[in-house]
Amino acid sequence: MAYLVLQEISKRFGSVQALSRVTLEVERGAVHAIVGENGAGKSTLMKILYGLEQPDSGQILLDGRRLTIASPRDAMRHGIGMVHQKFQLIPSFTVVENIVLGDEPARAGWLDRKAARRQVAELLERYGLELDPDRPVRDLSVGERQRVEIAKLLYRQAEVLIFDEATAALTPEEAEGLFRILEQFVAGGKTILYITHKFSEVFRLARHVTVLRRGRVVSSMPVAEATPERLARDIVGAGGLPDLGGPAPSSAPGLGPSTSPDPGPVILDCQGLWVVRPDGVPALRGVDLAVRGGEIVGVAGVEGNGQAELAAAVVGLTPVQAGSIRLDGVPVDGASVKERRRRGIGWIPPDRYTLGSALASSLWDNLIAGEVDLPPFSAFGVLRMQAIRRHARQRMETFDVRAPGPEVPAGSLSGGNLQKVIVAREVRDGLRLLVASNPTSGLDIRATAFVREQLLHLRNRGVAVLLISTDLDEVLQLSDRVLVLHRGEVVAQFPRGAATRETVGRAMAGSHEPLAEVSSRG
Amino acid sequence: MAEPTASPPAPSPSHWRTQLALATAWSTGVTFAGALALTALVLWLTGQPVFGTFALMLRTALGSKVGLADTLLQATPLILCGLACAVSFRAGVFNVGVEGALYLGAFAAAWTGFTFVGLGRLPLIAACLVAAAVVGALWLAVPAALKAYLDVDEVVSTLMLNYVALSVTSYLVNYPFRAPGLANSMSPAVAEQARLTRLLPPSQLNASLILALLLTLAVAWMFGRTRLGVSIRTLGNNPRFARVMGIPVPRLMVLTMLLSGAIGGLAGGSQVLGVNYRFIDGFSPGWGFDGITITLLARHNPWGILVTALVFGMLRNGGGMIQVFSKVPISIVDILQAAVILLVTAQVAVPSLRRATS
Repeated sequence: MAYLVLQEISKRFGSVQALSRVTLEVERGAVHAIVGENGAGKSTLMKILYGLEQPDSGQILLDGRRLTIASPRDAMRHGIGMVHQKFQLIPSFTVVENIVLGDEPARAGWLDRKAARRQVAELLERYGLELDPDRPVRDLSVGERQRVEIAKLLYRQAEVLIFDEATAALTPEEAEGLFRILEQFVAGGKTILYITHKFSEVFRLARHVTVLRRGRVVSSMPVAEATPERLARDIVGAGGLPDLGGPAPSSAPGLGPSTSPDPGPVILDCQGLWVVRPDGVPALRGVDLAVRGGEIVGVAGVEGNGQAELAAAVVGLTPVQAGSIRLDGVPVDGASVKERRRRGIGWIPPDRYTLGSALASSLWDNLIAGEVDLPPFSAFGVLRMQAIRRHARQRMETFDVRAPGPEVPAGSLSGGNLQKVIVAREVRDGLRLLVASNPTSGLDIRATAFVREQLLHLRNRGVAVLLISTDLDEVLQLSDRVLVLHRGEVVAQFPRGAATRETVGRAMAGSHEPLAEVSSRG
Repeated sequence: MAEPTASPPAPSPSHWRTQLALATAWSTGVTFAGALALTALVLWLTGQPVFGTFALMLRTALGSKVGLADTLLQATPLILCGLACAVSFRAGVFNVGVEGALYLGAFAAAWTGFTFVGLGRLPLIAACLVAAAVVGALWLAVPAALKAYLDVDEVVSTLMLNYVALSVTSYLVNYPFRAPGLANSMSPAVAEQARLTRLLPPSQLNASLILALLLTLAVAWMFGRTRLGVSIRTLGNNPRFARVMGIPVPRLMVLTMLLSGAIGGLAGGSQVLGVNYRFIDGFSPGWGFDGITITLLARHNPWGILVTALVFGMLRNGGGMIQVFSKVPISIVDILQAAVILLVTAQVAVPSLRRATS
């Protein structure tokens, strides 16, 4: 009998059967990977295991005992813990304080700081988690914060650890560090459930892999018997294998290694950009950057090294303290967001929920929100609903947005469909420059392939594309040139051939090697 | 995309809208039922006849032509205040200063009405209403600008300004503009020709109901069918997204608060021209605040506001009568409204809390 068994779990939300009779058998002391498209039920299943949702039927067995898990607290009591995609840490507290919070060693009702410090230090030592226990969390990198989250679970004696898209925000080096930590856990007998979209991680880490599709288990096999092709087929189903965004399927011209047509004239030209955050810390320090028409320039870097400010400065959301931004040779520094949109700047924001859409608004609202005062959408301030509806339907069809109609709220769409709505809005007539910030983060392979294909189409049409992504593979796969942003500076530039995981990864980590690969810019 | 097997069964768009409308109606209905149950509990605990009291309220409010007219009379300022709140709330600006705009607007209408007595009927009524709207809007211009350009919390500033408005108008009618020969604090009466037509005498119901209905139509059209409506919705649903879309957020915030103040001013002005014929110190029983409850309950839908205001008007009207004919004080209506507010708050707060934790 397996160590952890989820047996015949079913869960319904309204008219949607999120899980139907899902059975998962997890061995002790191994990594069990769970893959599937967005909306396949992975998260729901994990939420049930973690006590955030209750199953309609089915049971959970741990070590042969039947568990009732009514809340995350219950789950923790049984030794089941989860490392969330969004960290739940208090920035001003130290590592020790964050780890013991909620479960503090106490003496006569008072926090026993010494005992807490000692216990945490021991714990970090034992599991080889490199962390300074006394540093406040706000000073830590993303990778370090994740280690704090993991330490929180270990402190509470978790035996089963759930990881949801654990490497999404990590550099390749940090991800490798995480893998080593996980290997050590497994060797020590801990059990790991690992949700991921990345096949490389499945093959690197897991002993067993289960594929979910539309709330059902499609296949479950030892990784030794799995192949990427098999997994891809199981994930998307027999309905049709889309372009996977992997190495060049023949059906997708332009995907895979790119052979860019001759780049056109410089469209975006940034010179010496300085952006200082409200807290006084410079986020961009003299960034020079040019993007030509028919060219994808990729900006790689670890999250928080100025990517957000770069995008915000170009689209006009953030004032620039020094330097200039030109579009087609004309300065746009003083121009508002609206004026820049009119001049042909589009943006796929890094977060489709908080920046890219209004979830409570209809799809047509979302599709025209920035252009509502242009013909044909309105005349003399009054909407022309027929034209709007026609436009919305046509965009939805062109960009394969699957929704009942343009009236439904954007929040009712899956992540992939919502991203298509955003792409459909931004890819409009007269587009000169598209800034794409993490355009595929959290998307399943089908939607990822779609979005990447759109970027390549735009490039081939002569649009300038500035791809700012923390997904290194994405940058390498799509870009004609790669820049690396580190602490607000462009620390390295690579022409297509010279950009590899190793060279770019080293620059992302801020290694101070001479910039051997620097090519002539522009 | 040709993949019929993979796409989920798609309900038709109209089906969606019906579902949404039903859900709103259902939750509003549940809220009212809960409030009634709580009120019944209070009546029962204090030894008063539960059904007798409710029946008397209903009979008073709807049982006769005059009763019905009085219900509409009570509903009129509530409709206007509900709309006033809705215009800014829909844009995510929690302007609670409609009560203040209502007082200032009422005074502006009264002053115009007793000062320009030489004007003809329509010009004078128009001048009074314009004065009410403009003064109401100007009253909220300062907190609007503070909110939009300096991020000063609008809830605090507008709430405080309500008391300033009450005091300022009180001073005006107690000193400079006090009606000669009257003991109470009120302004002189407006000219005869400034008074709005009574629709169903002996009820005081007057033409301002028509103004309220027209404004309901106008706001509904503005929300649903204009550029401004799209921008307001977008801002209200996600301000960060609105900025990304290039919507001039500060300007729009100011505009919605000005509109809100203008409608609030009209609510006050119409009360002067239609019912009291003068400015009376402290004349509002809190319509500007009831407007907040009403628009929250109706989720800022103008037609929902109309219906909700009618129900509230019914309660006010019926409540006034039970005080006369039974031992139950009119406070029971306040209890009922308070229960509604509590339940609305729970409805608004709980789902967002739940979303935050999951």
